[in-house]
Amino acid sequence: MTAKGKSESRTFAPLAHRDDLDAFRNEVRNWLGAVVPEGWFARSAGAPEADYLAFQRWWLGEMQKVGLATPHWPKDWGGEDLSLRHQVIVSEEMVRAGAPNPDLYVVSLYHLPATLFAHGAPAQRERYLKGVVERGEIWCQGFSEPNAGSDLAALRTRAERRGDVFVVNGQKVWSSFAAHANYCLLLARTDPNAPKKQAGISYFILDMKSPGVTVRRIKQMTGQSEFCELFFDDVEIPGENLIGAENAGWAIAQSTLSAERGLIIFDLAERMHAAFVREIAAVRAAAPAWWADAALRRTFVTHYGELQSLRLLIRRMLSELDENPEMGASALPPLIKIKWSELLRRHTDFWLAVGGLNAQEDAPPLTGGGHITGNRMQDFMSSYAWTIAGGANEIIKTLIAERTLGLPR
Amino acid sequence: MGEAVGTAELRESFREVLDDIVAAGCVRRHVDEGASRCAPLWTKAAELGWFALLTPESHGGLGLPRAAAAALYEELGRAAAPLPIAAALAATEIVSAFGSQAQQAQWLSRLAGGDAAAFSASGPALDDASLRLANAALFGETGDLLDGVEAALLLAPVRDGENLRWALIDAADLSMQRIALVDRTRSLARARLDGAPASVFSADAHAIARKLRIHMSIALACDSIGGAREVLAFTIAYLKTREQFGKPIGSFQALKHRCAEHLVAIEAASALLGEAVSRWERDDIEAELYALLIKAQACDVYAAVAEDAVQLHGGIGFTWEHMCHVYLKRAKLNQVLFGASAAYHDAAARLLAA
Repeated sequence: MTAKGKSESRTFAPLAHRDDLDAFRNEVRNWLGAVVPEGWFARSAGAPEADYLAFQRWWLGEMQKVGLATPHWPKDWGGEDLSLRHQVIVSEEMVRAGAPNPDLYVVSLYHLPATLFAHGAPAQRERYLKGVVERGEIWCQGFSEPNAGSDLAALRTRAERRGDVFVVNGQKVWSSFAAHANYCLLLARTDPNAPKKQAGISYFILDMKSPGVTVRRIKQMTGQSEFCELFFDDVEIPGENLIGAENAGWAIAQSTLSAERGLIIFDLAERMHAAFVREIAAVRAAAPAWWADAALRRTFVTHYGELQSLRLLIRRMLSELDENPEMGASALPPLIKIKWSELLRRHTDFWLAVGGLNAQEDAPPLTGGGHITGNRMQDFMSSYAWTIAGGANEIIKTLIAERTLGLPR
Repeated sequence: MGEAVGTAELRESFREVLDDIVAAGCVRRHVDEGASRCAPLWTKAAELGWFALLTPESHGGLGLPRAAAAALYEELGRAAAPLPIAAALAATEIVSAFGSQAQQAQWLSRLAGGDAAAFSASGPALDDASLRLANAALFGETGDLLDGVEAALLLAPVRDGENLRWALIDAADLSMQRIALVDRTRSLARARLDGAPASVFSADAHAIARKLRIHMSIALACDSIGGAREVLAFTIAYLKTREQFGKPIGSFQALKHRCAEHLVAIEAASALLGEAVSRWERDDIEAELYALLIKAQACDVYAAVAEDAVQLHGGIGFTWEHMCHVYLKRAKLNQVLFGASAAYHDAAARLLAA
């Protein structure tokens, strides 16, 4: 697939209209109308990985041209200091236009800045945030390990201080797009004798080209290989790549995760809503056979109502986030994670029921199209990413019960 | 997203009054005795102008926005209060919007003073209009009327030859047969009409039915969310104090997860309810769709929480003495009042596909 936009008759500058929300929305819409390639979605199905990567890089570049790749970043770091209301408008318009998600850059655009703005040293911000903006550097996360999944604090990858460097040995798993990453946000144990397992963990920036780093792809049940395993064999990390204080990594990692997840779910829930709107339009045009099945129809409507509930919960979270960017007080992110992931599982399963035997036919997977791609079995299988990743739902439910409802440990 | 200041203050005042009523044992006694009317609550509500919330000021009412009624319904649900007020406020809306001057003069101040109203509990559907109009008199049997014995006014669809109309009937002209419900905070009634005088609305019957349906859907959804929050709150409190195997049972993961799931469901439904109320208040084009969706979702969430609360309480939850059953019965009735969830999903599907 060639990553090519339509011919552009003019340049677009949505940010020039930032003081007028309607005009801003309008310009974002005009830009998307001109730049999103017709039919990219269909062409992406089963496309070779090189095409996917090229397409992602091209799309990041297009977003950068109009200042919308990093609009939520502060101006000093190549961002636009754009308010949450503007970001919501951008996201809504991207969904409306069926624009691709910059999946490859999720860590680069969200987790990295959230970490470095709050805890990074000035030199780290200068080097690595600019690297994303100017060179499109790709980041991955090195958090989970074979024996530290839900119990992340049990991680055993060791970083030993030897003079000016930390020497890392160990193994990480479930690192998205690590095979393409330039850098990794790494959690490793610096003090094995700390009184609490959370207390001996530090947070590092790791150059993926460092000697001793081995990346091995994991073939997933969908047939794709987005996830990787990382192996570290005496890998040296310069001391200046430590983020925050030594042994303070756990708190840093915790503070930057949940709110970012909320923004990503916002986008995905809007895409699911757009899929509902398309299905309803199809029903109005000519009711499909399944619409005559009362049980399926009622399930569809039930899910529609639940999705509206979810979208409203997310909007409430966003307005809380607007008032308090640290999100320290909000109880909503874990509720939203549960609601989204469980609805996604049930809804993708609903489409399997509608699809019957046809939905079981092997069809090429589609990367970068959200979770309702129309490849029903793939959508269903992908939904596990949300019930397992970011803390398995069972862990999150325990957390809700203890922190929000106050049930005893 | 937050509630308007006026509504939040009103909610607080409703809650204080209801807390006092509950603390005085009024709800408990009402349930134990199976009485038809909870006099202390009703008197207090009438005194405080709760029945006049939506009555236009020109008719001596408070003329408040609908969000005020929604807040009241939620607080009544929280207290499982035996007060037949939703149908009275819905009837007030209908008479205000569609009534002639004479109809308004006859009913609005009575309704505002606390004379309750009733209409069919199986749903304000038009096709089951069982009453016939002939020479300004009504004949036939009513369907099941919610809180009919308490009502001064009956609002019913009637067949006038080929036409469907809505009619106002003075309950003084009827003899209502009370049908006790398992949920003792409410009751049903039926009446046989043999020439009772009726005052007919000239407005389109479907427009009236639609308005009634939106009002009662939101009323039941509010009642359900208020009830669900209360049930979860007292269940959590119990799980923190009840000990078995030497520790509070709330420390067991199997129980924690169910509580977390209920909280997620309640917060999600509550968010949708807020949106439904706001659309109702501004007569939004999708107000009906949201009312239908939230009636089904909120009632199902309430039922799930109330059902599980009995199990989470164990033996004590199965006793008459505990409040679990009061909420369980109210939740199960809400689920089928004015139609069950499947009917609401079908109606929402028709709107979506239209």
